[in-house]
Amino acid sequence: MANKSSSSLEVEHEGDAAQFKMPVDSDHKATEFWLFSFAKPHMRAFHLSWFSFFCCFVSSFAAPPLLPVIRDNLSLTATDVGNAGIASVSGAVFARLAMGTACDLVGPRLASASLILITTPAVYCSSIIESATGFLLVRFFTGFSLATFVSTQFWMSSMFSPPKVGLANGVAGGWGNMGGGATQLIMPLVYELIKKIGSTNFIAWRIAFFIPGAIQTCSAMAVLIFGQDMPDGNYNKLHKAGEKHKDNFSEVFKYAVTNYRGWILALTYGYCFGVELTIDNIIAQYFYDRFGVNISKAGTIAASFGLANIVSRPGGGLFSDYLSKFFGMRGRLWGLWVVQTLGGIFCVILGRTNSLAGSIVVLLLFSLFCQAACGLTFGVVPFVSRRSLGLISGMGGGGGNVGAVLTQLIFFHNSKYSTEDGIFYMGIMILVCTLPIVLIHFPQWGGMLCGPTPGYTPEDYYQSEWSHHEQQKGYHTSSLRFAENSVREGGRSARGSGHYKHTVPVETSPTDV
Amino acid sequence: MAGLRLSKITIALLLLIVCHVGPSMAALFNQLPKTLIVTATTKSGDVLHAGEDKFTVTWALNTSLPSGADANYKTVKVLLCYAPISQHDRKWRKSNNDLKKDKTCQFTVVKQDYSATGKHEYTVARDIPTASYFVRAYALDASGTQVAFGQTTDANKKTNIFDVVGITGRTTGVFVSAIVFSALSGVALAFFYVVENKKKK
Repeated sequence: MANKSSSSLEVEHEGDAAQFKMPVDSDHKATEFWLFSFAKPHMRAFHLSWFSFFCCFVSSFAAPPLLPVIRDNLSLTATDVGNAGIASVSGAVFARLAMGTACDLVGPRLASASLILITTPAVYCSSIIESATGFLLVRFFTGFSLATFVSTQFWMSSMFSPPKVGLANGVAGGWGNMGGGATQLIMPLVYELIKKIGSTNFIAWRIAFFIPGAIQTCSAMAVLIFGQDMPDGNYNKLHKAGEKHKDNFSEVFKYAVTNYRGWILALTYGYCFGVELTIDNIIAQYFYDRFGVNISKAGTIAASFGLANIVSRPGGGLFSDYLSKFFGMRGRLWGLWVVQTLGGIFCVILGRTNSLAGSIVVLLLFSLFCQAACGLTFGVVPFVSRRSLGLISGMGGGGGNVGAVLTQLIFFHNSKYSTEDGIFYMGIMILVCTLPIVLIHFPQWGGMLCGPTPGYTPEDYYQSEWSHHEQQKGYHTSSLRFAENSVREGGRSARGSGHYKHTVPVETSPTDV
Repeated sequence: MAGLRLSKITIALLLLIVCHVGPSMAALFNQLPKTLIVTATTKSGDVLHAGEDKFTVTWALNTSLPSGADANYKTVKVLLCYAPISQHDRKWRKSNNDLKKDKTCQFTVVKQDYSATGKHEYTVARDIPTASYFVRAYALDASGTQVAFGQTTDANKKTNIFDVVGITGRTTGVFVSAIVFSALSGVALAFFYVVENKKKK
C-alpha cells in the first residue's frame, strides 16, 4: 500500500527538487534552515513572514511606552488605560481563528497581507483620536493584526519539513514577538526626535504613529509582491492546476474542533504567550511604581523582556526539534511541560522578589522560559492536524490571546491585587494550566506518560481526517506526504524498527520503501 | 572597657539619629508653614486655553508674621497643581505627603529669587493638559528643599479651582495625512485583489 501511494504521489507531484536552491523533501518543503539566505521560496517566505509579523507587534504595542503623554492629552483615567490594554489583545482572539480558516482556504500570503492592510488605517487613525473611547477603539482594531501570527506559523509549516519546522516556527514567531519589545525603544525615540525638530508633545506623539503605520503598509505590499504560499506556487495557481484541492470549510472546521489536542494546546498557549502579552502591557509601570525608576529606565527594562525573544523563542523551537531527534513527539511534549512549568516558577518568584536587581534577573529568566515554551508549543502544533492546520494554529494562537485577556481582567484590571501579588498569582495559574499537557496522546507516537498505540502509523492518523469518498478522489495526498515525512516523530525506536525514512532530497527517499 | 563600649554605643546611636534625620530632611507637606499668601487673577470656574490665555499670579509674605520668618527663603517656585477631581483614578497625579514623591504639582509657572512680594504674568503653556487646577507657591531654601508654601485654594483644595483646556494636538496636517494614508492602504488592497483575480483567469 505504501509503495503504491508513494509512486502515485510521484506521478501527481509537479516539478522536481532540482528547481529549488535548498534541499527539500518529497513535499518540496525545505529540510534545512539557512537563516541569512533569501533563497526563493522558502527563506524568502521566512523573512517576509517574520518581518510583517514584527511590524504588527510594533503597532499593537506602540501606545504603552507613550502613555505618559497620551494619557494627559486625552485625559485618560487608569481604568481607561487598563480597558484599552485588554482591548488591544482581545480583538485577536477571534481574528486568529478566522485567520486560521482563511489560511486553509486562500493561503497565508493573501490572508496575512489582507489583514495587515485592513488594520493599518487603525494605526494611522491613532493619531487623530480625541477621547478615551477613541483610544480604546484604535487599540482594539490595531490588535487584530496580531492574528498574523497564525499565518506566520502556517506559512512556516507549509515551507519547512518536520525536522526543521520547530526551529522555523520558533524563529519566525520569536522575531515577530520581539516587536513588542522593540516598540518600547522605537516609539520614545521617534517621539523625542519629532519634539526636537520643534513639535509640542501633544502633536509629536500623533506624528510618531505614522512610522509604525507606514512600515506595516510596506511589509504587506512586500508579502504580496514577493511572497508565495507553498513551495510549488500560490494557492490560486495550484487550485487551477487541480493539484491542490480547494477544501470545504465545514470539514476543515469539524476536524479542528473535534481534535482535543488543539483545545489543550490553546489553553496552555494562553499561559506562555498570553502571559507574555500581559507582561508587555504592565511591566514598565510595575518597575516605575514599585522601584521608582524613571520612564526611560522602566521602558528599557520592559524592552529587554520583549527583546529576549530574539533567542528564547527560537531556542524553544530548536530544543523541540532536538528532543524530537532522540525521543520523537514524546520528547517534544515533555520539553514543553518542563520549560513552561519552570516559567511559572520564575513568575511566582518574581512576584515575591523585593529588590530591583533581583527582579531584573528573575524577569530575564522568566522571559527565557516563558518565551521558549511558546516556541516548544509550536513544535507540537504542526502535527496535530494536517487538513485543518490553519484552524488548529488559529485555535492555539487565539487561546494565547484569551489567556492575556483573562489574566489582565482577573489580576491587573482593578485595584483588588497589588501588581506584585497579581504576578505571584499569575505564576500559580501558569503552573496549574500547564498540567493538561500530560493528557495529550498521539496514537502513532505516544504522549508524556504512555507509549504509542501498537500498529498505528502516521498515515493512519492523518488519513483519518478524510472520508473514504474524499480519499478515493485523491484529496488527501498532501496529508499522506506529510505523514511520510513526519515518521521521524516516532523517535529513535521508530527509526530502529525500519520504518524510519530520513527526510532527504526527493531523488533518494521513495526508493527506500 | 565599659567606657569604650559606651562611647561605641554613643557613636552608633549618633549615627542612627543622623541617618534617620537625614532622609526625613526631605520636606513633608503637612509640616510646611503656610506663610505665603498667593492669589491669581483666575476666578473659580474660569476656562483658560493652553497657548493663548494668560493669568497673573501674585505672592506676598504674610505680614502678620514676626520679622525674620523668611530668613532662609532663597527661591520662590510657583506651580500649576491638579485639583482633586483631576487626580481621581490617575495614580500618576497622586498627592503624597513626602514632597519627593508628590505628583500634585507638575508644571512650573515661574521660579525666581525670593522677595517678600512678587508678581508674574503667565501664558498657559501648550503642553498643559485639559484638567482642573489651582496655583501653589513654595519657598525653597539654599539646598532647594521646600520650607514654606502658599496656595490659591483652601486646605481641602475645593475653592478657586479653574479649568485649562489643552491643545488637542490634532492639527489639520495630521488629520489629513491620517485619512490619506488610510485610504491608500485600502486602495493598495483593492489593487492587489484585482491583479490576483486577473491571474486566476
